[in-house]
Amino acid sequence: MTFFTIVVRGLLRRPVRTGLTLVGISIGIAAVVALVGISRGFEASWATGMKVRGTDIVVSNMGNALAPKPFSSEVRDRIGNLPEVASACSIYADLTSVEDASMMVVSAREWGGFSWQNLKLISGRMPHDAMEPAVVLGQTAAEMLKKKIGDPLQLETKELTVTGIVDGGAMVENGSVILSLALFQNITGNEGRINVIDIRATPGMSEDEVKQLCNKIDAIAPEAKAMVAGEHLGNSQAFRFISAMSWGTSLLAVIVGVLGVMNTMLMTVFERKQEICILLAIGWKPGRVIRMILWESALLGFLGGIVGVIIGTIGVKVLETLPAIHGMLEPDFNAELMGVAVVLSVVVGVLSGLYPAWRSSRLTPSLAMQG
Amino acid sequence: MTQPLPDSPAAASPALVFEARGLKKQYDDGCVQALRGVNFRITQGEFVVIIGPSGCGKTTLLQMLGALDVPSAGILHYRDKSIADLPDPSGYRAREIGIIFQAFHLLPTFTAVENVQMPMFETDRPAAMRTERAVELLTSVGLEHRLDHFPSKLSGGEKQRVAIARSLANGPSVLLADEPTGNLDSENAKHILELIIRLRREKNMTLVLVTHDLNIARLASRVIKMKDGLIVADEQTPPPAA
Ligand SMILES: Nc1ncnc2c1ncn2[C@@H]1O[C@H](COP(=O)(O)OP(=O)(O)O)[C@@H](O)[C@H]1O
Ligand SMILES: [Mg+2]
Repeated sequence: MTFFTIVVRGLLRRPVRTGLTLVGISIGIAAVVALVGISRGFEASWATGMKVRGTDIVVSNMGNALAPKPFSSEVRDRIGNLPEVASACSIYADLTSVEDASMMVVSAREWGGFSWQNLKLISGRMPHDAMEPAVVLGQTAAEMLKKKIGDPLQLETKELTVTGIVDGGAMVENGSVILSLALFQNITGNEGRINVIDIRATPGMSEDEVKQLCNKIDAIAPEAKAMVAGEHLGNSQAFRFISAMSWGTSLLAVIVGVLGVMNTMLMTVFERKQEICILLAIGWKPGRVIRMILWESALLGFLGGIVGVIIGTIGVKVLETLPAIHGMLEPDFNAELMGVAVVLSVVVGVLSGLYPAWRSSRLTPSLAMQG
Repeated sequence: MTQPLPDSPAAASPALVFEARGLKKQYDDGCVQALRGVNFRITQGEFVVIIGPSGCGKTTLLQMLGALDVPSAGILHYRDKSIADLPDPSGYRAREIGIIFQAFHLLPTFTAVENVQMPMFETDRPAAMRTERAVELLTSVGLEHRLDHFPSKLSGGEKQRVAIARSLANGPSVLLADEPTGNLDSENAKHILELIIRLRREKNMTLVLVTHDLNIARLASRVIKMKDGLIVADEQTPPPAA
């Protein structure tokens, strides 16, 4: 028998209680894994979206809203004239309800701009020109809106025709309704206004040079902020808010887990008072009793962490298959997140065990003689 | 694991193990005077029985000897060191003394062989040797066929045998027993007592045994009678016939 056997036996003496505590802590950890995984996945897939469009720099004004603030399309010409800019593409991007779908990315792109190039037709055709009343749908968007080629699509007051379904190579692209910028400006009465400029830097520029270019753009275009593609989402307040919410919710779930473990460990110390006194009476050092309790709670945390990671991962996979969400989640469950979750859970276990362990070490061995 | 005995000043007489002078213990801020000034000396290898009516302070005295609690006043030495001031009371309890309780006090979620190993965690004996020694000890108390039984599956006599084996885990030089046969029928009590006395003789341990059974007192080399927290008689007894 090893010390570890004693620790395990301590948890097994009340299997139901240990099991329930495990469920409690693992739900907390599952929440951490799911929420953080989803929000990080969101960030990552946004970055992939930029990459497939070949965008190096995104110029936009990410305020408090989910969609960026519009500015004059004349900014694009100012930036386009910079020698380091290979090409620029004006965009009007909006998050809005389209027919039955409550949240859709509508991406209106400068006709002929490079941001059309990554779209591969799966079926149908691209619009003939900038003003044809036509849209193309990313394949997920088509599924969500239940549209096929030739179907009408209501956008604001105008009825457009779905002429093509495309594979955009990234989740964000596939979930978008894509149309010509000029057409969109005309429909929405936003002539001369855009809210995003995708920029391709001259090929061969280093990361530092791209960053310097951002500064240069900021100097000539104070209406918006230039950011290296992929990093810009983290600067959006809306995204930061969502991020903070997911961490906050996770934290709450973890605190509930802490209280569960602490309660269990206090109960176990109380229940085993006499046994702990016996151990002290036959020569165990108080430190060994403390270690026994702490190892028990750490093991509880470790097992809860493993189970939590599994529940969280499976939970999000199930969520992904729901029709309402299908194609909108691209969670990022990497080994690092799972490792952090398990470590967090062990830390939670140890912290929750501190007070019960201290209590147990204060018991006097003479109590063993009584009863 | 017995520590080498310090050289006794009087080489001829056996070494002094315990010495109490004016030993007092009170509980509840002095409302209960469990020990009211006790004096005695116990030397190496003695078999001392402490006898007296219920509530006279026998268990309290044994707790002081075992460093399970501290005296309120007076002096209590183990081999010339104050027990209350031991730098490592756990180490003292683990290695110097073995304790046997009336209620056995085995850990219910551990088997016989595991219970016996518990005190060995305070030594640097590796796991395999712990098991080996526990099996040896259980064999010496006649329980080689009950190694993997949980306490709930053992009879009272068997439980006390496991407890005795556990008390010997680290080879103590002193055995403290608090009414070890109090929860046993007379047949089992007789066997347990014989076992304790045999082990004491084999290992030359000092034995302090608390009882209120006069028949047991006749087996001891010395009987201390207590009443109301005081020693009222302290007599050497002639060795039993045979
Ligand atoms: N922890 C304690 N708190 C208060 N009183 C105690 C405690 N332990 C023992 N006593 C009291 O001290 C006296 C001696 O008790 P004890 O040593 O157990 O007697 P014995 O073992 O001879 O029956 C009794 O009056 C008992 O009630
Ligand atoms: Mg008693």
